[in-house]
Amino acid sequence: MRTGYTISAVGHALVLAWGLVSFSAKPFEISPEDSVLADVISESEFNELTAGSKTARQVTKPSPIVDKIGEVKETPKEPVQKISDKPEVRTTTAPPPEPAPPDVKPPEPKPAAAPPTAMADPKPEPDPIAEALKREEAKRKEEAKKLEEAKKREEARRREEARKREEAKKREEVKSDLDRIETALLDKRAPQRQVVTGSMINPTPTLGSPTGHAPQLSQNEIAMLKAQLMSCWNPPVGVSEAKDLVVTVRFSLNRDGSLSSEPMVLNRGRNALFQIAAESATRAVRRCQPFHLPASKYEAWQEVEVNFDPNDMFRG
Amino acid sequence: MYDQSGTHNLHNDSLGDGQSDLLLTRRHAMVLGAAAGFGAVVGFGGPAGAVLRFDLNQGNVQPLPIALPDFLAGSPSDGESARGIGQIITANLKRSGLFAPIDQAAFIEKITNTDVPPRYPDWRAINAQALVTGRVTRQPDGRIKVEFRLWDVFGAVQLAGQQYFSTPDNFRRIAHIISDQIYERLTGEKGYFDTRIVFVDETGPKERRVKRLAMMDQDGAGVRYLTNGGDLVLTPRFSPSSQEITYMSFGQGEPRVYLFNTETQQREIVGNFPGMTFSPRFTPDGQRVIMSLQQGGNSNLFVMDLRSKATTRLTDTAAIDTAPCYSPDGSRICFESDRGGRPQIYIMSAGGGPAQRISFGDGTYSTPVWSPRGDLIAFTKQGPGSFAIGVMGVDGKGERILTEGYHNEGPTFAPNGRVLMFFRDPGGNAGPSLYTIDITGRNELRVPTPSFASDPAWSPLLA
Repeated sequence: MRTGYTISAVGHALVLAWGLVSFSAKPFEISPEDSVLADVISESEFNELTAGSKTARQVTKPSPIVDKIGEVKETPKEPVQKISDKPEVRTTTAPPPEPAPPDVKPPEPKPAAAPPTAMADPKPEPDPIAEALKREEAKRKEEAKKLEEAKKREEARRREEARKREEAKKREEVKSDLDRIETALLDKRAPQRQVVTGSMINPTPTLGSPTGHAPQLSQNEIAMLKAQLMSCWNPPVGVSEAKDLVVTVRFSLNRDGSLSSEPMVLNRGRNALFQIAAESATRAVRRCQPFHLPASKYEAWQEVEVNFDPNDMFRG
Repeated sequence: MYDQSGTHNLHNDSLGDGQSDLLLTRRHAMVLGAAAGFGAVVGFGGPAGAVLRFDLNQGNVQPLPIALPDFLAGSPSDGESARGIGQIITANLKRSGLFAPIDQAAFIEKITNTDVPPRYPDWRAINAQALVTGRVTRQPDGRIKVEFRLWDVFGAVQLAGQQYFSTPDNFRRIAHIISDQIYERLTGEKGYFDTRIVFVDETGPKERRVKRLAMMDQDGAGVRYLTNGGDLVLTPRFSPSSQEITYMSFGQGEPRVYLFNTETQQREIVGNFPGMTFSPRFTPDGQRVIMSLQQGGNSNLFVMDLRSKATTRLTDTAAIDTAPCYSPDGSRICFESDRGGRPQIYIMSAGGGPAQRISFGDGTYSTPVWSPRGDLIAFTKQGPGSFAIGVMGVDGKGERILTEGYHNEGPTFAPNGRVLMFFRDPGGNAGPSLYTIDITGRNELRVPTPSFASDPAWSPLLA
């Protein structure tokens, strides 16, 4: 009996202890995370893209709104060109040096003049005339040789000059080649604009898709517009204490937020107080222009209708 | 002695000249607007089908900026009154708390002719929503002609135009009347500037205070004394015609309710009662006076017909019933009574009968006054160490305290029910002075008086 109690007590204690440990209230630790910016296109924004007009003619296949017929532009073929069309590849680097003509000149067959001289060498007898002739001959040869040398020098000089000219020309050519490449790399295509074009002019909007709707101002943007109007509106005291004196004012706006037409009061009241209320409302609209509204949603705020309701302005 | 001449020889005509073209354009605009509105309704309003619609139920409670250039003077001798009129109008509108007169130094256009529309862009540039132009010219008969025009700067139209003829010394009244016109045209409420205040002027040291009955314009100008200070006077009240005042005075013997004619300066005792009578007030038709009559330790309410002198008892309780005030239609009476133990506010039918308690807050309530608009009852509420001025609905709901502090007492409504005047006694050696406060609790202002002042009562509109 006693052991039973003990076991039970110990067992309960263990269960409690385990429970304390495992079910102890431990708040979730949330480490601060860096926020990630994400642009989310809402369904409504997507629908705005597919908006139509209620008054449009029903067409089975909606065609996009088009302002002009596009030029039919042939799409360029795949840039696979005929081999023959392929221009010769021109490199700008200098052509590889031609195998230099071997400097070693083939053994020049000595002019035939030598053997005869050699042959004429044997001097059988000194002949004074011959001697004189010989001297004459030698002298002539000597002169001819000199002339020959001078000619050679002249020729070498000329060749040198030609070589120099050639090199300068080559350098010039390389430089102009670089320029050519540079200009060749520039995109010389005329700048193009992507226009909405189609096969036929369609200036009227189609009925659009059933889920599309016009651009709408977000609640935030409406709240900002309200705040701007509020700051311009001085509701007259007498008006704000009259019950149910609501003035509905309609006005249209230009894209820059200025009034494109005078604000007009849509409802009518009988007493003079209504006129004062209406004046204060239109004054607020006139005073407030230009309105600060997103230009991208111009269609949504082109026409504005405001109920100026001064109830609960001063009371509460 | 009392400047009532203005009421007799004050003529006013609507300014018609130079207005027809404006009128025409305005009518045109209305027709066009109606046509366009109709067009919008039936569906050829424009290519865009979507109209942005929303409600605006909050506005800017800032005062309306208004430009008040000096009135032009037809001749140099009128320069003073022309300038005076401009200053009075400016001060009136500014004190109302609903208008913010723009500093003249900011003006771009100098008004030289009041008969042609102003250059609206010049006034829009300084953000004036309304513009008042005027001119004072001397007539051959010696009177002055005062013209004014009120322009809507942003709407580019004339809102009001009037001309008045009067004696030159009456320019102050004309300025108040013009102020009322501007106020009414722009706020939709009746004005309250062409009114007077009757009050108790207090001079001398605290132990030997001399109390005189005095009257002045609502802006504190033109104070004149009605009694010489020999008797102690309390609780003066205007009759609906503003020509008679009823008040309580400690003459020889017991305090009595008196009637005082401000034009003839004649004084008479109201009724012949065997006890002290106090806290009188006229009925809204001005034919009778209601007051308290002390009998033993109690006081009850009685009403007396001023012509037949017939008196009617309205309450018969063993309590102090006092400070009665009629509703604007004269059908009910609110009053103060301690029949429930402490002073509270009760309402009963004008013919007497059972009363219904309407004040249930902490502290005691006294000096109830019914608003001329009929929707509110103002009171003095005494709590521990403080006296507050507040308003509550006729059914006792919506109690609001407008100002609190040591010894505020005796509220009285302006004729349009928008502004309350009361007196505040800071205690010590200082004496009481008059204050006004808007029924919203804003715009508390001291009213200038030559010396200490208490127990104010606001007159109805004089015109």
